[in-house]
Amino acid sequence: MTDTRRLIILGLFVAAAGVLHAVEAWLPLPVPVPGVKLGLANIVSLVVIELYGWRPALAVAVARVVLGSLLGGAFLGPSFALGLTGAAASTLAMAYAHARWRPALSLVGVSVLGAAVHNLAQIAVAALLVASAAIFWYLPYLVLFALPTGLATGLTAAYFLARLPRVG
Amino acid sequence: MLLTKADKWLIAALLAASAGGIGLNLALLSPAGAQEAQIYRDGTLVQTIKLRAGYREELRLGGTERYNLVVADDGRVRIAAADCPDQLCVRTGWVSAAPQQIVCLPYRVVIKVVSTAPPDVDDITK
Repeated sequence: MTDTRRLIILGLFVAAAGVLHAVEAWLPLPVPVPGVKLGLANIVSLVVIELYGWRPALAVAVARVVLGSLLGGAFLGPSFALGLTGAAASTLAMAYAHARWRPALSLVGVSVLGAAVHNLAQIAVAALLVASAAIFWYLPYLVLFALPTGLATGLTAAYFLARLPRVG
Repeated sequence: MLLTKADKWLIAALLAASAGGIGLNLALLSPAGAQEAQIYRDGTLVQTIKLRAGYREELRLGGTERYNLVVADDGRVRIAAADCPDQLCVRTGWVSAAPQQIVCLPYRVVIKVVSTAPPDVDDITK
């Protein structure tokens, strides 16, 4: 595959992830806990990890957060810091799990792990931002919420990859 | 089914950890006894408000913009209004028992409910 082709495909993934990131910020969730999100953009991270490896996946995740926060009007705000740390940490954790534990752990397991790490990283940044470790009280609720969302995004990525025509 | 054995172990472990955390959270709730709300901004304690039946106090944090309106009433405390973009602090509603808290991430405001009676779990939580 040529570099140009790869660049174009990764660019399309950034666009798709950026849109998912922005759209999910508009969805109201009935939980008054900061940081609870569906994590739809994780689908793209999983797919890029599977197809291209961790470096492009990290690049796509960072570009996605920048793009998504520009679209949502939250660039360089606190939610930008949370999003960036969460996306980078979860992408790296998923890439590591994918490389090391892949046959034992399925793509869905990798996704659930990524969702949990995403929350852990966000909580840590939130605790730093407000200078209060009491924020960690939210973590069990966030992890509980991350299980179904991680399952859903992992299954979506698995089905997407299964139906993807193998070209290039 | 797509789930492997390791997937199920991972999910079970995370489920157990979060259930344990929530259990600990609920176990530490101490609705009885005297309580107060500690209001922090940028990590520094701005004010404490007593939480007791029949007592009301309002506190406005910030200026005309970037504000949080804190209301303590009848043993409970909430952020009644704020102009932050996500409104999570307002939607949190009333809290009344330690260690509940209200967080406004955009303005770095934390309101913690603490028990003023010395709790017997202090050694563990510190």
